[in-house]
Amino acid sequence: MITDFGRVLIFLIVGVVFVAGGLIVAWLLRPNRPYPSKLATYECGEVPVGDTRVRFNVRFYVVALIFLIFDVEVVFLFPWAVVYKNLGWFAFIEMLVFLGMLAVGYAYVWRKGDLDWDKPAPKVPRYEKGIGVQETRMTEEEIAV
Amino acid sequence: MEIPLSYYLCLSVVLFVVGVAGVLTRRNAIVVFMCIELMLNSVNLTLIAFSSFLGSITGQALVFFAMAVAAAEAAVGLAIVIAIYRNKRTVDIDKINILKW
Amino acid sequence: MSDHLLNDLSLFAPETAITLTLVAAILADLIFRRTPLVVAALVLAGFVVTGLLLLGQTGVNASIFTGMIAVDSFAVFFKTIVVLAGILVVVFSMESGELNSPGRKLGEYYALLCAAALGMMLMAGASNLLMMYIAIELSSLSSYLLSGYTREAPDSSEASLKYLIYGAVSSGLMLYGISLMYGLSGSLDLRAINRALPQVLSGGGAASFTLLIAGVLALAGFGYKISAVPFHFWTPDVYEGAPITITAFLSVASKAGGFAMMIRFFKVTFIDAGAVALPAGTWATLQGFHWVDLVAILAVLSMTIGNLVAVWQNNLKRLLAYSSIAHAGYMLTGVVVLSNQGLAAIMVYFGVYLFMNLGAFYCVMLIADKTGSEDIDEYKGIGGRSPFLAVALAVFLVSLTGLPPTAGFIGKLYLFAALINSGWTWLAIVAALNSVIALYYYVRVFRNMFLRTEEPSSPGITLSWLQNAALVVLLVPTLLLGLYFTPLVQLAQASVRLFGTP
Repeated sequence: MITDFGRVLIFLIVGVVFVAGGLIVAWLLRPNRPYPSKLATYECGEVPVGDTRVRFNVRFYVVALIFLIFDVEVVFLFPWAVVYKNLGWFAFIEMLVFLGMLAVGYAYVWRKGDLDWDKPAPKVPRYEKGIGVQETRMTEEEIAV
Repeated sequence: MEIPLSYYLCLSVVLFVVGVAGVLTRRNAIVVFMCIELMLNSVNLTLIAFSSFLGSITGQALVFFAMAVAAAEAAVGLAIVIAIYRNKRTVDIDKINILKW
Repeated sequence: MSDHLLNDLSLFAPETAITLTLVAAILADLIFRRTPLVVAALVLAGFVVTGLLLLGQTGVNASIFTGMIAVDSFAVFFKTIVVLAGILVVVFSMESGELNSPGRKLGEYYALLCAAALGMMLMAGASNLLMMYIAIELSSLSSYLLSGYTREAPDSSEASLKYLIYGAVSSGLMLYGISLMYGLSGSLDLRAINRALPQVLSGGGAASFTLLIAGVLALAGFGYKISAVPFHFWTPDVYEGAPITITAFLSVASKAGGFAMMIRFFKVTFIDAGAVALPAGTWATLQGFHWVDLVAILAVLSMTIGNLVAVWQNNLKRLLAYSSIAHAGYMLTGVVVLSNQGLAAIMVYFGVYLFMNLGAFYCVMLIADKTGSEDIDEYKGIGGRSPFLAVALAVFLVSLTGLPPTAGFIGKLYLFAALINSGWTWLAIVAALNSVIALYYYVRVFRNMFLRTEEPSSPGITLSWLQNAALVVLLVPTLLLGLYFTPLVQLAQASVRLFGTP
């Protein structure tokens, strides 16, 4: 007698064997003649540029953070939608208040410019005592190089 | 066939302990936050299991709020990590140590 | 149903007022970008209105929003403490040189202060585990951001990160405790849990062991909020790194909210409703769950470790952080005695602690704004240069030590009396010995201020009239409550009633 979860287990095992078996058979049968462009990372036929571990611009994080908050608030809309018919006006007004507060937050983010992609970074001139505002100049060695 | 309640509870205890251990041993602040999320999610699993077992809906309501709070916590946490990275150029917890004793 | 709801909403008026203030502050910050004083004034007005609405709630004893929040005299007392602390901290913030440096936007700061205060007020009233969790998180999340507000200062952002990690872990532990308690009793409502517990405890050893685990995990959440040992590790770092105004707010308001919630949790959930033959004003806990012993151990550890480590501190802000851990220990002893007298003693202590602790932090802020340092060695000769400020600081510190004729003495007196009355004499003795240690480290500050002079004497610290007025406002209650304390004591004794308990 196989239980429901027994069937799931059989399904899992078959899945693993199917994939692993295919890979192992291919590994046994295929010829092995590597050369550099064959070993290179496949990027849709383009020559790969740079490292895989590039650093993402910090602006992605800001947008991600804002998205995260507004996205998760939707979780409260689902139960509300389920019981909406039983509660009527009360639920409607309550949700309006909730969404109104979210809208205030959204307006704040928008007005503060955190949604603008090209937020100009403040350029602070470097000031050192006795030297004044410093400008970037190449040194003798750098010119020589 | 129904899975007994104890299976869920054991799984969530294991997840919770993994989360706590991660918080205590990991040095990267981001990974620490991921471990905290793991702790919260294991609690969510416990709550859902109890809720279904007891046939009461309050546990699920708490899960909704826990999810929203966890997201807010993650957002605040990442914002603070970005601020600290701008100051120190590192998110290694062992190197964030001006304040001690 | 709608009548019912309108009634609930009218009892929720103070929280609604502070929420509206929060929204208005956010909008005002968008409109008046250049003048942060507008937002500050708005928030100040919002706090005052909230305080007035709270005054209208004296004597109410009700439960609103299907048992989520209790509005009783106990909650109103602690909410008042939070609002008073909020008002004073807004005034401090308008004066603070650390915050008002050019180029810093303070609109968000005031809005977050409102959010933190709202969370702490909800903590005082929450009578459902779900509401407790949300209230804790609301106040915590705002506090994390506030403690890192001066984000160009490395120690501020570090404080904020440490606060966040400790806070997230302990709230996670607490949530696990809540889930276990829900599993045992099938409810999140404190009174429903209380009704279900006798049956749970009769179920045998496994059930009561699980309940113990759940209680300890929940205690982690409360202990973190009130910064009791062993959940205190964040306290010194955050208090030192955060802007001083926020340190002051956390040390009073956050602690008040935490204590209110903890007392309500333990008193409503674990009270033995069927206990007979008890003296009036006392109560018993359910058999089979000895949380009182746990809290007593926490109290002793907090007092002793807080005071002993404070002796080694050179930074006055950090010293006050350890002293606030010790104060959490003193106040915890009031929870242990299980009597209305103990609760009243805690409230008297909070009424006093509000003024003396905020006062001490305010003096530290004024001095740090001028000298740029919170190091105790930098306090040399301040007594000669600016006598009023030095004397004020000395009074606050004497009061924190608990010596007569200051208000701190009255707070400690009531606590010790409650302890001795209910037979916890050894705890009273430990607390008294700890006060002696406290005297030792505060004397170091006095000695630096009055007996040592700085070699090249620097100019005195001149205070504006507003700063002088704020100091007087804090100084008068600290001295007056030490001599004429009857109103505060009567208020506390009238406020011990919690909704849903006899």
